[in-house]
Amino acid sequence: MQVPLLTRIANGDTGAVDECIDRYGGLVWSLARRLSTSLADAEDAVQEVFVDLWKNADRYRGEIAGEPTFVAMIARRRLIDRLRKSGRELESRPIDKLALQHAAPLQTSPVELAEEVAQAAACLERLRKDERKVLELSIYHGLPQTRIANQTGLALGTVKTIARRGLLQLRVCMQVRNQRRANEVEVV
Amino acid sequence: MSRHSNPETNHWEEIQVTRLLFGLTEEEKTEYDRLASRIPVEELEQLDKVVASLDVIWADMQTEPLPEHLRHAIRIRASQELAAKPVVSLANPSTFPAKALRGKKYLPWFVSALCLMFAVFTWLDNRPMEKVRPDVAQLRAELLTANQGLVQAKWSPGPTPSEGATGDIVWSALQQKGFMRFQGLPVNTPDKEQYQLWIFARNQSDTTPIDGGVFDITSTEEVVIPINAKLYVQDAYMFAVTIEKPGGVVVSSRERLPLLAKVE
Repeated sequence: MQVPLLTRIANGDTGAVDECIDRYGGLVWSLARRLSTSLADAEDAVQEVFVDLWKNADRYRGEIAGEPTFVAMIARRRLIDRLRKSGRELESRPIDKLALQHAAPLQTSPVELAEEVAQAAACLERLRKDERKVLELSIYHGLPQTRIANQTGLALGTVKTIARRGLLQLRVCMQVRNQRRANEVEVV
Repeated sequence: MSRHSNPETNHWEEIQVTRLLFGLTEEEKTEYDRLASRIPVEELEQLDKVVASLDVIWADMQTEPLPEHLRHAIRIRASQELAAKPVVSLANPSTFPAKALRGKKYLPWFVSALCLMFAVFTWLDNRPMEKVRPDVAQLRAELLTANQGLVQAKWSPGPTPSEGATGDIVWSALQQKGFMRFQGLPVNTPDKEQYQLWIFARNQSDTTPIDGGVFDITSTEEVVIPINAKLYVQDAYMFAVTIEKPGGVVVSSRERLPLLAKVE
């Protein structure tokens, strides 16, 4: 069984650093572009995210979350925090023009996804159209509530209600699938 | 979650969604901290995980790869950050070949470096403790002399005080390092419990202060312990020592909190 990259880094294996940048650089960069107000900001943010990653590598536990998920958690936390500190209410347009060109996100192929994320993808398919739309606009496009409300014609408060409902549905669906899989493994 | 009534559950979920998708205002953050302190640790990050999974699903990793100059900058930052961390193990049980070994011309240098590192670590491992202590005290003295963005505070009794424990803490915001000094803090049994430092800073919620590292007290006489902050510390305003299970915890229940140091 392969030792996770973050565990190797936490154990002082500096050889794992390049692999970690190769494997997760694109993920972090993609997130930073979507949740930053300028290219310079995104470039600073990516570096901060990786510093957070090195410092938190020893917190990674494979049984709790997959490595890409853990990386995305660290990245989003830093990026949203930067946005909040910059005083921006997520009002300005995200700099990721590619993201803005697409009405819906380009989904990573299921065969490339780790099992846990593939489960999330399957659960996503089961969401209602409005729930998925609001989550795409907030998570993928990085839009604030007001702009989501304008774009969808929903009331401001309804945007958050729908986002919450969608995320809770996903949480339950992922938990059920995890449990089902754990039971299958036990039977085998 | 079961500890909450329905309206409070709704409120908690709503504030989590706001935090993850839109960011919190200062007032909301205070409210989030208040609610989070009542949520079991295993439930705290469940929605974070869901959102992170969507981030992974929707990442355009192929269309816009990480620019080369950024990759280079990250590597440099990594070498600075990781050089400061103690190496736990040099063994690499992974199936990945180490990239450094790809260029055969570097192999003799790499082997020499490993031998040197091994010699240094062997020496470090075997030298007597008496020699270690003055080094840490010396480093602390140097930090005080450098006087770069220092914050200092004296330990005061926490909610579950240790009788007679005194000392202080010094932290350099610029160097991102610091030291704790204790006298009279009870000696712990490392395989039963360990002390853990928590750093309360402006860049981190009060509910999840920055982990400042797990440590042992081996003497009730004066001991100096280096701080091992796991995150960047911005404007530290309070430090707390808790007693935790061996290895420490990610989020403390704060049931045993013998010492506090507030920066005046």
